[in-house]
Amino acid sequence: MKVSLFITCISDIMFPNVGKNTVEILERLGCEVDFPTLQTCCGQPAYNSGYLEEAKGSMKQMIRAFKDAEYVVGPSGSCVGMIREYPHVFKGDSEWEKPAQELAAKTFELTQFIVDVLGVKDVGSTFKGKVTYHPSCHMTRILGVKDAPKILLQNVKGIEFVELPSGEDCCGFGGTFSVKKPEISAEMVKEKSRHVTETGAEYLVGGDMGCLMNIGGRMQREGKNVKVIHISEILNTHN
Amino acid sequence: MSLKLEDIPFEEGVQKGIENDFMRQAVSGAQGRFRAGRLKQAQELGNWEDWRKLGEEIRTHTVNHIDFYLHQLSEQVEKRGGHVYFAETAEEANSYIKQVIQTKNAKKIVKSKSMVTEEIGLNDALAETGTEVVESDLGEWILQLEGDHPSHIVTPALHKNKEQIRKTFAQKRGYTGSSEPEELAAFARKQLRSDFLQADVGITGCNFAIAESGTITLVTNEGNADMVWTVPDTLITVMGMERIVPTWEEMEVLVGLLTRSAVGQKLTSYITAYTGCREEDEIDGPNDYHLVIVDNGRSNALGTEFQAALHCIRCGSCINVCPVYRHIGGHAYNSVYPGPIGAVLTPVLDGYDDHKDLPYASSLCGACTEACPVRIPLHEMLVLHRQKIVENGDTPFAEKMMMKGVGMWGGSPFVYKMSTKLAHSALKPWTKDETIENGPGPLKAWTAVRNLAAPPKQSFRSWFENRKKDGEN
Amino acid sequence: MAVYNRDEFLNKLAAKLGRPRRTEGVVRPVWRVNPQYEVFKGMDQEELVDIFANQCEAIHTDFVRTDVAHLKNVLVDVIKSYGGESIILPKDPRNEIYGLPDCFNELQQDTNIHVWDYTIGKENEKIAERANIGITFSDITLAETATVTLFHNKHHGRSISLMPKNYIAIIPKSTLVPRMTQAAAIIHEKIEKGELVASCVSFISGPSNSADIEMNLIVGVHGPVKATYILVDE
Repeated sequence: MKVSLFITCISDIMFPNVGKNTVEILERLGCEVDFPTLQTCCGQPAYNSGYLEEAKGSMKQMIRAFKDAEYVVGPSGSCVGMIREYPHVFKGDSEWEKPAQELAAKTFELTQFIVDVLGVKDVGSTFKGKVTYHPSCHMTRILGVKDAPKILLQNVKGIEFVELPSGEDCCGFGGTFSVKKPEISAEMVKEKSRHVTETGAEYLVGGDMGCLMNIGGRMQREGKNVKVIHISEILNTHN
Repeated sequence: MSLKLEDIPFEEGVQKGIENDFMRQAVSGAQGRFRAGRLKQAQELGNWEDWRKLGEEIRTHTVNHIDFYLHQLSEQVEKRGGHVYFAETAEEANSYIKQVIQTKNAKKIVKSKSMVTEEIGLNDALAETGTEVVESDLGEWILQLEGDHPSHIVTPALHKNKEQIRKTFAQKRGYTGSSEPEELAAFARKQLRSDFLQADVGITGCNFAIAESGTITLVTNEGNADMVWTVPDTLITVMGMERIVPTWEEMEVLVGLLTRSAVGQKLTSYITAYTGCREEDEIDGPNDYHLVIVDNGRSNALGTEFQAALHCIRCGSCINVCPVYRHIGGHAYNSVYPGPIGAVLTPVLDGYDDHKDLPYASSLCGACTEACPVRIPLHEMLVLHRQKIVENGDTPFAEKMMMKGVGMWGGSPFVYKMSTKLAHSALKPWTKDETIENGPGPLKAWTAVRNLAAPPKQSFRSWFENRKKDGEN
Repeated sequence: MAVYNRDEFLNKLAAKLGRPRRTEGVVRPVWRVNPQYEVFKGMDQEELVDIFANQCEAIHTDFVRTDVAHLKNVLVDVIKSYGGESIILPKDPRNEIYGLPDCFNELQQDTNIHVWDYTIGKENEKIAERANIGITFSDITLAETATVTLFHNKHHGRSISLMPKNYIAIIPKSTLVPRMTQAAAIIHEKIEKGELVASCVSFISGPSNSADIEMNLIVGVHGPVKATYILVDE
């Protein structure tokens, strides 16, 4: 199966390991992975800030970049969720609506792709440690992916999985929200950090680097000893 | 008539909220209980998503034909002996109500809880007539004694604790009992009973008006709205124009969605459906009935992408799941309508000038949209508001410039690729141990409370390129 | 009776909706999903009684089941448990059918019984306000929510079930329906046939309550503080 990797700008620039793990997992599952280099950002920062025209520039570029892809897979519920919104954004646009629909239909979040498209529930990885999972808002509520990440995590050998209390609560990232309304965002991430600490987990896992960068940055600032990692890291560990 | 409560900057209200420990604890506890109650009810029904779809369909149809149903409603109310006044503005509504009260020479008015009367500032308008106005909902009564505003559309005094309430009762009404809720409520029952019996005029809000029969449905637990409707000879109902359903059958569906979503009850203790004046030889109920139907900016939403905001049934479930509301409380929104629905509705009713911050008071987490029993896409409407503010050119200059940059960056693979190469060195001066603790410019707000992982030397794309080359060699 | 400003108000709404104003011809569609008809579908009266009885507990209401022959004794007991004193009830043909006058004979001589009498006007309300107990029959009873439905009229004021401290509802088993859906359908059909709906229809589920103080549930605010539902097998 041919898969085009949608790396997401945040992982491309800030967290390249997420991309490396994603590539290796998909290859191990028998996919042929390519990386269309014309891809940029999904457009969400501008879109959510209300800058529709600026956002559309990015979106069109993404549509062009993945025009020939069979499947597009990205390690982020939020960014994939944005692509799934493209048809809505370009509704009534005679040139772009159809290609937007085509891209949305073939784009999947990593765990969603593994479970729903490849039909795999156990990627065969081994990971020792106590792990809790933050179900990010866009992954669960925009994209509707609730079970896939948990199914994959629970099938990892050696893992001790604990539920995160009030996991469905937003961590306060919200893209530009975190710098536009920093006081509110701060209270939200403090609360999330408290909930993570309550679990006694050594690792906080999630499927969206934006949220993890926020929670991880806060926990580090608080001197908390919790490692915050993307789910692909666990799914690509075999020790 | 502005919906703004206080003349302070948004950030100041936020700060006040964040520093109010009692309020935050109370709100957090209440949200937990509300949420659990709602989910339990949804689970018991089993097919909650079907119910939400039905709710959405009913609301969509009704608002799409709002002129028809309001016409029918007014005909029916008239047939049952009532007067109907259509008020385009708050001022028109208030002056009609004042006129009714002056004609009756009323000394005392009892009111049941009504958000629309808060919205139009009815109590202030009535104060000018010298008539005593008594709020009879327990929460509203507490706030009235204190001169405070509701902070939640369903439980208005959520931000008060029982000790504060005991003090208020003692100071204002000579209460000598304890701060036990039962004792406080028993005192309120006694005090308000005499108000009910003496009142010349009653004023209620409206949960759902039923077009086919001219009926007003009131949803309460305390029984105060029933007292208001039963005793005085003159009764005035004030309704937002969109609070209407075609028939009793839709009322029934929406009442069930409302009570489950608002307070996790299958039904509240009292659902009472009143139609016009009392019949001949009936004793209870009014013999002079007035229905005031208020627009006050609602029609701004008709025919626009904000129309679904008029589908709201005021259950407050979006407020009860909102993490922003949890931390800042209702007053921080500085609008009669707080929380996600407030952030959506307030600028529709009252424009952006006084409420420009509201659409940004959300992380767009979508919890509100998921909770809404009539499927209003609340978080998407917040984005739409942001688009309007951008279109109007009302965002800060620095933000405009930055977003222009973001647009160019995302639209051009070349510029984008450059950034993947430059990010590491650009932030190097602030980086220590791969972490930024005190970032420059827009990063300052971020690093005020959390660290930022610094971009590493090699981007993913460069790694992938090398890997491919290695593979080829 | 008058209607003010209707035309300009509604014309404006129609204009905003981008079409001419409509005063007729709008037909309520058949909704695409109708989960309300599926709740407790096909259940018999006995199953509904169970649901009703369970829900009574959730709404802080005492539930008693009896038959017509024993209603008298049960009612006397409940009235005594509420302290007797004074009772108000509607003028309802069911009072006699179910033997209420007989029952009242069993009570202490000084128990005040007032049957609603419209000829004495507002005095009824004053009596209701002072009464210790209000008693009514349920016209339609909703199993799901343990709700009694009352259609008020000149012989039955809203005050009776609202103002006294205690409320007793007598519920003939045959009035049980699954939920409010069925009650709404009955009322809607009557309206379609041109009948006038009662000026007040109340759906009462237990005693009054409030959670306005720190979210603590307080039972008994402006309406009754206690309630008993007596289900009568016929």
